[in-house]
This record gives sequence, C-alpha cells and structure tokens, in this order.
Amino acid sequence: MSKTSKKVPTYCFQCVSGPDLIKVEVEDGVATRIEPNLNICGQHPGQGTPCVKAYGLVQKTYNPNRVSQPMKRTNPKKGRNEDPDFVPISWDEALDTVADKMKEIRAKGLKDNSGYPRLAVSFGGGGTPTRFMGSFPAILAAWGPADLGFGAGQGVKCYHSEHLYGELWQRAFTLEVDSPYCEYVINCGKNVDASGGATGVRRGAEARRRGLKRVMVEPHLSVTGAMSAEWVPIRAKTDAAFLFAVIHRIIKERNWAEVCDVRFLKEDTTSPYLVGPNGYYLREPGTEKPLIWDLADGQAKPFDGNITDAAMDGSFQVTGLEIGADDEVWQHEGVVVKPAFQVLLDHMEEYTPDWAEVECDVPAETIRRIGDEFVAHARVGEMIEIEGEMMPLRPVGVALGKSVNNGPGGYHAVWARTLLSVLVGAIEVPGANLGTKVRLNRPANNKHLSAVSSRDGIMDFPFNPTSKAEWASQPRIRNGYNTLVPLSSSSPWAPALGPAHLPWLFQKEAPDNWPRPTLPDMWICYRTNPAISSWNAPEVAERISEFPFTLAFAYTKDETNHMADIILPEATDLESLQLSRIGGTGSGEQFWKHQGWMIRQPAVKPVVDAMDMTDIATEIAQRVGILGEYNIAINKGAAGMKLVSNQFDYSLEPDVAYGVEEIWDRVAKAASHDLSKGEEIHDLAWFKENGYMLREFAQREWYLYPYMKERGIRFELPYQERIKRHGVQLANRLHEVGVEWWDGQLEDYDPLPKYESFPDIWTNYVREKGQDPDDFPFWALTARSMQYAWGANVGIPLIYEVAENVAGHSGIIINMQAARKLGIGQGDPVVITSATGVTRGNAVLRQGIRPDTVLMIGQFDHWATPFAKDLNLPSLNSVTDIALSLTDGTGSGSDIVRVKIEKDLEVLKRANS
Amino acid sequence: MNDLSTPPSMSARYGMVIDLNSCVGCQTCTIACKHANDTPPGVQWRRVIDVELGTFPNVERLFLVTGCQHCAEPSCVPVCPTGATKQRADGLVTMDYDLCIGCGYCAVACPYQARTIAHEQNWYYGEPTTQETYVAQPDRIGVANKCTFCIEKVDDGLAAGLTPGVDPDATPACANSCIATAIHFGDFNDPNSNVSQMSADDRAFQMHEELGNDPQVKYLYGIDNSMPGRDRTADDVDDEALQDPANPLVGKVQKFWDMRAAMNFTLGGMSTGLIIMAWLAYMLGSIPESALIGVNVVAGVGMAIGLFFVFLEIARKARFLLVLLRPQSSWMTRETYVVAAFYPTLLADLFWPADILHLALAIEAAAFLYCQARILQAGKGIPAWRAPQMPWMLIATGLLEGAGLLAIATTLHPDLRGATPIAAGLGGALAAINAILWRNYMANTSVNGIHPLPRKALAAINTPLRLIGQVLPLLGFAAFLGLWPTQPLVAALAGLGAVAGGIIWKMTVITKASHQQGFALSKVPQRGSGTRAAPARMGTAV
Repeated sequence: MSKTSKKVPTYCFQCVSGPDLIKVEVEDGVATRIEPNLNICGQHPGQGTPCVKAYGLVQKTYNPNRVSQPMKRTNPKKGRNEDPDFVPISWDEALDTVADKMKEIRAKGLKDNSGYPRLAVSFGGGGTPTRFMGSFPAILAAWGPADLGFGAGQGVKCYHSEHLYGELWQRAFTLEVDSPYCEYVINCGKNVDASGGATGVRRGAEARRRGLKRVMVEPHLSVTGAMSAEWVPIRAKTDAAFLFAVIHRIIKERNWAEVCDVRFLKEDTTSPYLVGPNGYYLREPGTEKPLIWDLADGQAKPFDGNITDAAMDGSFQVTGLEIGADDEVWQHEGVVVKPAFQVLLDHMEEYTPDWAEVECDVPAETIRRIGDEFVAHARVGEMIEIEGEMMPLRPVGVALGKSVNNGPGGYHAVWARTLLSVLVGAIEVPGANLGTKVRLNRPANNKHLSAVSSRDGIMDFPFNPTSKAEWASQPRIRNGYNTLVPLSSSSPWAPALGPAHLPWLFQKEAPDNWPRPTLPDMWICYRTNPAISSWNAPEVAERISEFPFTLAFAYTKDETNHMADIILPEATDLESLQLSRIGGTGSGEQFWKHQGWMIRQPAVKPVVDAMDMTDIATEIAQRVGILGEYNIAINKGAAGMKLVSNQFDYSLEPDVAYGVEEIWDRVAKAASHDLSKGEEIHDLAWFKENGYMLREFAQREWYLYPYMKERGIRFELPYQERIKRHGVQLANRLHEVGVEWWDGQLEDYDPLPKYESFPDIWTNYVREKGQDPDDFPFWALTARSMQYAWGANVGIPLIYEVAENVAGHSGIIINMQAARKLGIGQGDPVVITSATGVTRGNAVLRQGIRPDTVLMIGQFDHWATPFAKDLNLPSLNSVTDIALSLTDGTGSGSDIVRVKIEKDLEVLKRANS
Repeated sequence: MNDLSTPPSMSARYGMVIDLNSCVGCQTCTIACKHANDTPPGVQWRRVIDVELGTFPNVERLFLVTGCQHCAEPSCVPVCPTGATKQRADGLVTMDYDLCIGCGYCAVACPYQARTIAHEQNWYYGEPTTQETYVAQPDRIGVANKCTFCIEKVDDGLAAGLTPGVDPDATPACANSCIATAIHFGDFNDPNSNVSQMSADDRAFQMHEELGNDPQVKYLYGIDNSMPGRDRTADDVDDEALQDPANPLVGKVQKFWDMRAAMNFTLGGMSTGLIIMAWLAYMLGSIPESALIGVNVVAGVGMAIGLFFVFLEIARKARFLLVLLRPQSSWMTRETYVVAAFYPTLLADLFWPADILHLALAIEAAAFLYCQARILQAGKGIPAWRAPQMPWMLIATGLLEGAGLLAIATTLHPDLRGATPIAAGLGGALAAINAILWRNYMANTSVNGIHPLPRKALAAINTPLRLIGQVLPLLGFAAFLGLWPTQPLVAALAGLGAVAGGIIWKMTVITKASHQQGFALSKVPQRGSGTRAAPARMGTAV
C-alpha cells in the first residue's frame, strides 16, 4: 500500500525558553513523529533541537481525553465537588452565548462601580500563550479595558524581582550569563539545565566543556546543581545573606581598589555620586545634577562634568542640595557627604562571611573562596573583539533562581547579584550577565531603544508615578499594580507583573480603604490553570468558582475549566496557524545572530471539532460588533506584526471578516517585507514550505553596555535613590487615603537593602495562623521540571513515562537520613501538612537535599485533569498560602513553606486492608 | 525493508561517546528514540538514569545514558538460539524480529539491561489512538527489542554517501536530538572520527569493562579545566545504596525467566539426575532392567513437563522450532538437540531394551544436565548466574536430586529396593560436594559481583538450604548406611531433603536472586558537594 509522507516544519513554544523549530512527520494524514528541524542548525542557538516537551505534541494531538466540541455548563452551582454537567453545543450556540455576554457587558459599561474592568482575562506563564492564540490579542485591543491581572502562570511564581529590577538597571526582564564567553558562575538556585530550554542547555554544556566553572548554591541538588562543579547546600531563602557576604569578602576583606573594576565603577556607575545626610544625592544648585568629588582638584562637580579622579570612598565637605520625596528640598552649606560607594562600604560592614555562615549554614571559608574565585575569573581590564569592536571581557556571572528572587528577600538578592556584577564591570559585556529582552520598557522588540539617559545620568525608567499630582489612587485593575508598585510600570505586560495574586486574596477579604473588590462579569482563561498553578491552589479554585461567567479555552477538562460556563476547544499546537517572531535575544539563552519569522502551521486537520484561535477571535469580534476595531488592531500589530507602514500596506479592511489563512498571509507578507526591507516578500504558502525566514542580527545587540557608553548612561548601582524616593512618596500617598496594609511592603524601598532573616517570615506566618513552627520542621520547596515546565502537558502519558526517569517525578524528595529518622522508607505514602494546607504523595529518598528541606517538583495535585488526576503526585501549591505578610514590595510571594511530613496512615491502612 | 544483515561498510566500527559532563538527564534522547523507533509504552531503548553517589553532605549527582552498547564481544549474540540476534562486521548488533521466539535468553545475557520484551500491545491511553495504531509494530510484540543504533538510517545514509555521526540523515535519533551534545555517534575504526578523537588518551571508560564485552559506547568523565574526572571510591556507592531498589544503579530481578523457566531447571535437573543414578544402580546390578526403564519413563515424563513449562515461557510459540538454528554457540539450541535425541532413545529403549540404549539415555541425560548448567551461566547479565561455581552447582544439585529421588523411589517399588545403598552413598557424597560448592559460592558473592540485594535473597535461603538440602541428606544417607541400613525410609527422608533443597535453591536463584547487573561507573566526574566538589580554581584556566 502506498502511503503519503511529508515533514511539516513548525515550532514548539511550550516554554518561555523557546522557540525550538521542529518537523512533524505526517503519514497518510496522521502526525506520527516529531524530529528536530536541523535545517536551522547553523542559525538556531540550540542548533535546531527541541527539548523533550516537543515530542509530547503528537500524543497531545491524539489525546482521547480532549474536549471534542464546545460545551456549556448546565449545573449552575460551581465548585470542586459539583459536577458541571457539561453538555455539547454547536459552535454557533457557544459563540453566540459568549458574544451575548460580551455585548451585555458593553451595554452596561466596560468598568463596574468599583472602577474595575468587567472583563478579566488570564493567560498562562511566560508569555508563551501569545505564540498560540493567533489574533486573539486583537480582541483585547478592540475591546478596551480588561483586567489582565488575575495571576495564574503569568504574574505569580515568576522571576519577579529580576523582572522589575532587571529592567530598571539593565533592561533585563530576565538575565542569562553570556555562556559562550563566561568562565565562572555563582548560581543561586537557577535551575537552567531544567528550565533553560534546548538552547540554554546546549550553550551551558558547551561552556562547561570549554572550562566554565559553575558553583550551585541551593538547598537541594537540582539537575543544574548536578551539572555544576560544586554544590553548596545553603539553607533555604538565605541566598541574599550569602551574596551579601561574598560582596563583603570582595570589598571589605580584599582590597576593593585592587580587585574591582575601579575605572568602570567610577565612570559607568553611580558609585561616586555623593549622598547627602537625608539619603538623597547631593546635587549642584541650579542644575540639580548629582555631584561627584574629584580628587584631582578637590572639588565637587556635576556627574557629567570634567572629572579626572572621582572619589569612591572617604567623606567630603560639600555645598549642594538634596531633593527628597514630594519635592522636599534641603539646601546644604559645607555638609559632610560620602560617595555612594563609601555608603556601601559602611553598609556592608556587618555582613561578614562569619555572620553569613550562621545564617546560611555555609562555611565562611567557602564564601570567602567563592568571592575570591569570582574576582579571580573576572579578568578586570581585559578586552575582547566582537565583530570588529573591542569590548570589555568579564567572564563571570551570577544567576538567581525563581524562589530566590521573588517574594520577600527578592530585592536584596537581585541587588546583591547586580552589585557583584557591577563591582567587576561584569554587566552587559561579553562573558557577563546579560539581559534577554524587555517587557516593561518599550519598544518590546528592541531592548536598546529604551536605554535613554535620565537627567541624573542613569537609565530612565517608566515608573508608575507616586507624586501627589500623578499617583493613581484608583487602581486600574484589581491587583492595583499601577497604584501599589511603581516599578511595574504601565506596559501591556505590567498588569501581570503587579501583585497578581492579590485579587484572589482581596476577593475573599476586602482590604480597608480600597475599591470594593468586585467579581469580573466575565473571565476568559487561556492556556492557564490557576486552580493548580497558584499558591494555595485549592483556595484559588474556590475563588474561581465564585465567578459568574467563565469562558475557558480548553484542551482537556481541568481544574479551572471545571468552573467554566462555556468551554471552547481550540485547535492545538499541531493543528493551527500562526506566524511568530524568532531570533534576536530572549529567555533561556536565546541569543541569536539572526532574527526573523517562523510559522506554526497545521500538520494535521483538527482531530476534534476544534477551531483555530484566529477564527474564534474573528467570530467573536464579528458577533460582538467590534470587527472594525479588531481588524484595525491587527493592522496595528496585535497579531505580532503591523500590516501597514510607510513602506507597505497589507492591511485588512475593517468591515470584512477574514479567514485565518488570509490574516496570516498578510502577516507573512508584512513580516517578510519588513525583515527584508522589501527585497524578499513571502506569502503564507512560502512560510508553510520553508518554515522560517531569517536575517542577520548583530552580536553587538546582545550587549547593552556599548549602547550605554555611547549614550553616556551610568548603571544605577549601588545606591537606589529613586527607589527610596518612590518608597517615601508611595507611603505618603497610601497613608493619605488610609491604606495601612501595604506598610510591610514599603519597607523594601531601601536605597541599600538591609538583610533581615527572610526564612523567619514564613516561620512567623505559621504563628500568624495560630500554630507552632516547631511542628513544621521542614522547608518545602519546588523545582522546575524540563519535562513539564510551562507545558500544560500533565495529561500526556509519554511525558510522564520519560519524566519518571528523573528523580522526584514520582513523589516528594526528602533527605534519606531525615526520612529514616521519621521511619519513612523509599516510596512510602506520606502526607505533607503546612499551617494552611495538605498534600499527599510518595516519599522519594535522596542524598542530594538538605535534611531540613523537602522538594516537590512541578505543579501537580490534579483532581480533574484526565490522566494527571490519577498520578498521586503532591504539589507545593496545595500547602502554600497567599497573604500580605508573604508578599514583598514588588507584589510577589515565593515558593516556600514550612511543613511536616508523616507517613500517610490512611493510605497504608487501605493498602493493608 | 533493507537487508540489515550485511553492513554497507565492512571496515567501520560504529559506536558512541557519551559525555557525562554534558548530559543533563533531560530525556530528550529517550523520547526522540521512542518517536523514531515507534516503541510501545514502557519500552525505552535509550534511557537516561538519574544517579546519586555518596551521602549528604558529600554528594554527587549525574545522568547516565544507557542502552545497547553494541559490544564488540556481545554476550547476547552467542546465546540466541535462533540467530535472531547477530553482529555485523561494522559492530552493530542486530535484531531480526521474524526469527526471534521471545525466549528472553539474550535479555538475561546482556549486562547492560538493554533488552526488553513487550508481551502484549499496550496503548498509552489504554485504548489505541489514531497515531498509535498507525505506527504500531506488531512484529515487535513478543520478541526481544533493543536499540539498533537506528541501523536503517545509518545504512540509508551510507548508501546516500553520507557520514554517520556527521550527517544527521545517517546518525541515530538520540545523537541528533541531544540538546546537550552529550551523545556522539561515529566510527571508532576511523582515527579521525569524532568519537575516536573524543575518546583518545584514556579520556573515556567503558562500563563493566571487566566483563569483557568490550562495549562500543564509551563515557567521557572529566573536563580538565573545571571538573576533572576521578576514580570511583568505595563510598560513592556503598552497600546501603546498593540495597535500595529505587537506586537506578541497582539491577532489578529479571522478569524474562520466571517460574516456568525455573520449573525446567528443577524438573530437568531432577529427571536427568535420576536417570543417571538409576543407570548407575542398574550397571551395579542393584536394580533390574525393567525397573531402570520404569524410572527412565517417569524421569522422561518429568523432563517433558519441565520442557513444557519452558515452552510456555516462549513468547512466540509457533516459531518454537527456530530454536534449532544456533547449535554453533547457543546452549539452548544444544539442549534442544539433546532433547531431540533423548526421547527417541527413550522410546527405542522402551520397545527394544538394550544396554547400549540405557547407556545412550544416561549420556543424553548427562548432556542435558550439562547444557542446563551452561545455559544459566551464559546468562551473563545476571551476576548470580554467571558465577564460575554455577555450572558445577547445577550439575551437582541435579545429581543429588537424582540420588534423592532414587532413594525415595526405592521405598515405592520393591524392584528398586536394591538401589538404596547406592543412592545413599552417592547422595551423601553429592550432599557434601553441594555443601562445599554452596559454601564457596556464598563466600565469593562479592568477588563474583553479586550485589547486596541478590546476596540478601541468597542469604535468606542459606540456613534452610544447608539444613534441608545439605545436612539432612548428608546425615540421613550416612545414618541409613551406618545405623539403619534396613530402614529405607531414612534414606528416603534424606532424599526428600535433597529434592527440596534443589527446588528451594533453583527457584531462588532463577526467580529471586536473579537481579540484573545494574550500572556502575569506574570513573566519574569530580563535582558535587563537600569532598566531591571540583577543586578550587583561582585563575582563568580557559
């Protein structure tokens, strides 16, 4: 029998570290296999190989548990224990029901009495859903205000402090080390060999073979720790103390003037800026420019003046003015001031390695040695030629894991990390820590364009204003990002980067002097399962059940769409069409020397009665009566590429409902036109055949430092004057309207962060819940799994099968000796209890974990998702909580909780009977 | 389908180099292999295990890529009774699914846990999906499976003028898919190939080198500048770690040969031992010819039952006769030939009794017993089986069981009564020999590479076996001979002990102490915490 066979190029973007290009083998119309797209081997930094998750897509397509047609709920009661009684309906009925609801909202007004958008929308983590939702963003653009701040995968449990402070300091939404040149990395718990995608793993492996030494500092020996030269088993959530002590080693115990990059510190950072007695920069009267003391002639000069030898330490008598919060001004005559670096030297005095040894349970000598290794490898003073241009070579990096840099202590860790880089000039130069992309600064597709100087000679940043005149007393959405978090800015990504877990909390318990937390009239969720992926997931599930109308795009039933009113099955990864940007720089070491566009195309027809997201979006737009606005939004770039410019016009007619192929054909032409400057215009058919289109992207673009140097911008380290000012102003504003419940978060607004014993926050929370911390002797943590992270693939048995080969995928990891003391044996069923929740699973006894720590990989504890609900896997999300006292100033919490572990007597009894 | 038996290149020797400092255990190779080779649920030709060495706070974790090592001296090939498994001139160890009877012999002969047999077609979601139905490989159900190095792709690539290991279209899927560039494929006979270059100068080691299979998968373990390699130390994997069945380094009890196979060894040993003992008694004039024939018939039936059990063990029963295809190397084939001679001899002896036939039958029984002894020992993947004492123990046990059965039989039929002293005399001696062999075997478990778990299983029967299977026969037979020669029941009791001991021992060795070799690394990267950490480095060593 003759068979037809083809290999269809498409992409996998299931995780934030993508994309990876793949080929789908299709035989007789059946997608049979996935393989790497090695055509792009020479250009893709992962050389065309996708990670393990991509190979789950075939089973994802043919999963018999898929939602096979639109459904509506017939049981009005919602809850975990309520059967939704979904019944199949036609696409017409489903879309009409959705459109009617949306029209009803438009008739009532887009915002409710509390001023909150009546429509709320949640997407899954890392921005990856936009790579699958076709033209759906145009619906949002056409709609008007919507609340995108109900945290799910996106917005909670992210690299939160890194996102916010990273963009502030170095236009780095996330940071990676420049692996091709790096020689030494201090990594505090960043599990890059599990979460860094194919590209991150490949570049990391190449770097190791070249001689990169990585020291992994984390409470459990992760996959990345395994691949590191050294594992330092640190006490959970004390990473900032460790980093503070490394800094102390370098600037206090070693001679900083010898081991640091002094030229860089003087010329390219705010280290020499003089700090006045009130904690603000001392400024030149008149120009209000921050002053620097020039040792050459013993004078204070504005930062951009003719300075020969900027003073870094000591104290000086200077005349000038300080500008504090709310424009308070202090005029000083001959006041004694210090350079910011001297303030830093004073500040770090107490954070000795011996102090840190007690806090972190890491030997002081280890800390000292790591500090020494770091400066030894920094190669201060060396240069390297990149594309004909000489740049500093600083082959040292510091990486921070998710739970290190989010939640309380996050600011301290990211500040210390960035300061370490800055001390040796290892920031945004070859070999050093590099930002990947911007999400808060604009434009989104070029991280350099927003790097412009503020009047103080540092990078400007779009803070949400805190001044009396401009502060937004009315939160735009329920998480209040624009009101509470100046650093979250106001880009389209900002809602997800505010305190995205607070809506769930406020919905249960309204805070004082704050708009009444209302329920959204309609909630849309897409590629997200907050009823599993949030802190205190069981509680969030209850909150979701209170929503009056939920539209869920669904692949299989899950814990979130269990509460849905309408379920729409979208054509999944291998069944639908989209063009997406590729190349440039991005998360997971996506550092390319090319950029361009790639296609995701239907390898097979939808296996169930599913629709392409673009067609769904167009249908909704038409039925709601916003087709014109929708098409215009696409023309403006809502589908990833603007269709009209002064060079080309492939725009859609506003009043025509276009099919998915037509829309993406126009995107294809606009994208190729834009990329090739009109020289090579390709239609959709070309992309379907060829898979991708690339143009060169200069390696120089990887590095921000050359741009900053050109534009005379300094790194704003070590001293955080702006943070201090915003903190005071924000406190003033909030207190003016009677908001006192954010006071704890305001403590983070320190110009130089002070260490507090962060683990105590979670210990005290146990007391807050009326229980004794001694009853909960373990720190429970989580770690990413490459097999599952971001993939929403827990219902795919093939993924489960191969993931089982990696320790921890069958239960909760506990130190072998600690388990034995509790009488817990390998594989024993255990119950894990915190002050607020409980989860169950089997014990996995290992050596690579501290005796005071337990680890639950991934996010499980499913109760509705087919296949996954029978896995009996525990989840940290079932035992963590959402609380203001666990939230930091940026509005994030952390994946850590105190727990106790006991043998699960119920299961044992059942087994015995 | 291509003819896979003839390699396109006669001069190549294909193999792999795997870098332990690159592999992150992501399982991409595992899953890519599953796609490329359409393997069913649970079958992983390429598997990456997650290994821990040491004890907190001195711990190292590493990921070990496992699978068929395409050994230069593959222990799976000679044992295969049908020739389904062969080795090509280019080193690739091949599988012909149409020839395989699914006896599992290759699987127990492999010290690398490379082979699996899926006995039924399973589906990932319980019911078949469109895709699974489409790619299902019914010819691979009930037969041995293993990594082929994507042989067809290699051959097609070579035919197209491509270079394996360089051109993706001539390179196995695992190597192509590896996101860490940890898996490299190439020609070890080409000194300029990637694999030859990488593994030069002792930078690579072979797993279980001491077993002599000369595997063609070599592991890189050190990076001079950052993570130098080191030799394995005693506390990397201690006895305690090897007692943890969840430890992926620890071999599991093989499931290829279960009670059915054990029945063949038990009944085969007893029957052949009985025939030999009865023949001796007949030759010494202790029993009449008719009694000998009667015993032989009973033993023949016993042996047939054992063979029937082993027939039940074979997955592809209809192909049973293919077992005759490998007399040149497989003791299983040879055993079958012996059986093919034994039963006609027995029949002939029944109708035309003659001393020459009696002798022939005894010789064939001995040959059968010898084949069994060699069969088990060639199960090289099972340390408890491949021990040098094993063939002698199987022979000695078979003979002891035969003596025991004869002693029992003398109480059941008056014609056999005269054989009691011979049974007791030989039985006593054999019980002593068995005791010595067992003692020697148990004293050398570590030397023979038998891990703690099988040691534990063996230790569990040590006392009962010694008491029932050795002391009781020895004392019983001695007591009969020395104290109560008129009480054959005493000898019968001793005989019962001998038989029971044989059963306990064989069942244990075959089904309980038959842990697979497991995995071990003679050298490891120097990395981890505490004492295992890579050395400090205070300079730019790149």
